[in-house]
Amino acid sequence: MRKSATLLLAQITLRATLRDRVLHMLLGAGFFILLLVPAFSLFSMRQVQELAITLVLSIISLFLLVSAVLLGTSSIWRDIECHYTASVLGLPISRTAYVLGKFFGTAFFLSLSSFFLGMVSSAVMALAAAQYPAQQPILWGTFAYAVFFYSCKYILLAAVALLFSAISTSFFLPVFGTIAIFMAGSASQEVMAYLSSDKVVQLSAVSKSVTKALYYILPNFSAFDLNVYAIYSLPLPLFGLAYTFAYFLVYTAIILLLAAWSFAKRELT
Amino acid sequence: MKIKALALIFLLLAYVVIVSWLTRYMEQRPVAIKLGYTPSASALKLVCGDQRHVLAEWSILKVIFYFGSLTDKRPNSIASPPEYYNMFKTVETAIELDPYNMDAYYFAQAAFTWEVGHAQDVNRLLSYGMRFRTWDYYLPYFAGFNAAYFLKKPQDAAMYFKKAAELSRNTLFTNLAARYLYEADQTQIAIPFLIMMIDKSTDTTEKALYTRRLEALQAAQAIQKGIEQFEIKYGNKPVTLQELVITKILSEIPTDPYGGTFYLDDKSKVRTTSKLAPVNTGQNYSPIIKP
Repeated sequence: MRKSATLLLAQITLRATLRDRVLHMLLGAGFFILLLVPAFSLFSMRQVQELAITLVLSIISLFLLVSAVLLGTSSIWRDIECHYTASVLGLPISRTAYVLGKFFGTAFFLSLSSFFLGMVSSAVMALAAAQYPAQQPILWGTFAYAVFFYSCKYILLAAVALLFSAISTSFFLPVFGTIAIFMAGSASQEVMAYLSSDKVVQLSAVSKSVTKALYYILPNFSAFDLNVYAIYSLPLPLFGLAYTFAYFLVYTAIILLLAAWSFAKRELT
Repeated sequence: MKIKALALIFLLLAYVVIVSWLTRYMEQRPVAIKLGYTPSASALKLVCGDQRHVLAEWSILKVIFYFGSLTDKRPNSIASPPEYYNMFKTVETAIELDPYNMDAYYFAQAAFTWEVGHAQDVNRLLSYGMRFRTWDYYLPYFAGFNAAYFLKKPQDAAMYFKKAAELSRNTLFTNLAARYLYEADQTQIAIPFLIMMIDKSTDTTEKALYTRRLEALQAAQAIQKGIEQFEIKYGNKPVTLQELVITKILSEIPTDPYGGTFYLDDKSKVRTTSKLAPVNTGQNYSPIIKP
């Protein structure tokens, strides 16, 4: 029963998302900017193809970021505001199934968007590369991996947003909390690298320990960034990808468990 | 409805008039073209996440447009000294954000060597880039050129050209590497390098080019060894190469395959009139690549 309820809710969430006009506009803007990439990439002196790949990956990343934050933060909160949650939970559906359904609906939308944006991007990249072929040919498999790991990254971010949404009674904590976690998670690897360097002498041992603890607690979003491999056609570190994917699965599962647990404890009036 | 339509027409006409005034005003308004300060790469990395490649490219484009504005002076622009320091720092920041960015290296090479005279700093950036763009022969080629032409450091030039030759297997770089190794008194390194390149080469023309250079360097090395023997035997260096033949240290002065003649310069270094470049004397030289 739980499985089918989760799937049903995921399907409903996806349908609602596909009808969302804000996302239609975002997707339209994304596609439009993608079409301008071959022209923009001509600004480069020596790396037209590389600039085209840089731009398409940037556009995909920005679209997925906005979608993940909007969908992840608003889904539960909006349902509660519209008293939709009370009606759904009046049915024989557990709260865990409800949270998971919301998550899988959002995750499926992000995956679909990545796929379509990736397809359009490939055509755009091929066009840009045909204008000025680069020293290194485009590695399409590497590009596909880069887009796939982007979708993993933003699915994880959507899970974080859902956790905040399950805890919070207002709209502010989910939105600003998710953005803060995204920024901190994107910078944590750089901070860790800085701490490990010889430049740091003045920082106290306690500060270093706290920073290290945060590094392990926060999601490490830079692990999902394969831009440099896709842009410059570098060989992919396959073991690293396996670790990153395993990290994504485990971290997302933990976040979902916490979200389901906190939502189960929550009083809905 | 009629009033609204009239109001719209009036506003559109007013817009046309104002926009033409505004355009004229904007064209004449003094423009201060400034590049300004770019924050450090470490700080930018913390806030830009996976957008750092875009930020690097944007920084480079900003510098390129600024550099273009220095040469393309507009009549209404306010003259200010070129911000070369900020330009270089911005390029440096872009390279730190994206060490693979070829635009950054290319621009640094184009703008900061001829115009600004900072070949040493450019070579520092290029050497950094070589750690990342390990397949790209352009970076060692640029660095080799800077070392040879601007910095007058034949040993560094030889090292960079050798790297460019190994990456590209281009005959020009191989010959340049061998030539600068010779200039830097490193003929003993140039000879095995050329032998290795001859072994690797499958093209007969390429092999012939390398072989000619090898023969020239081997000839120069044989003369150099003769000079060392002369010095051991007589306690001083010979004044002319003929002394080596007269004293029977050498049976004859080797011929230069490029068509020149070997001689001793004022520092007793073996030189050739060909400068290790083909000289068409009509006797010794025969072009390997037919015109």
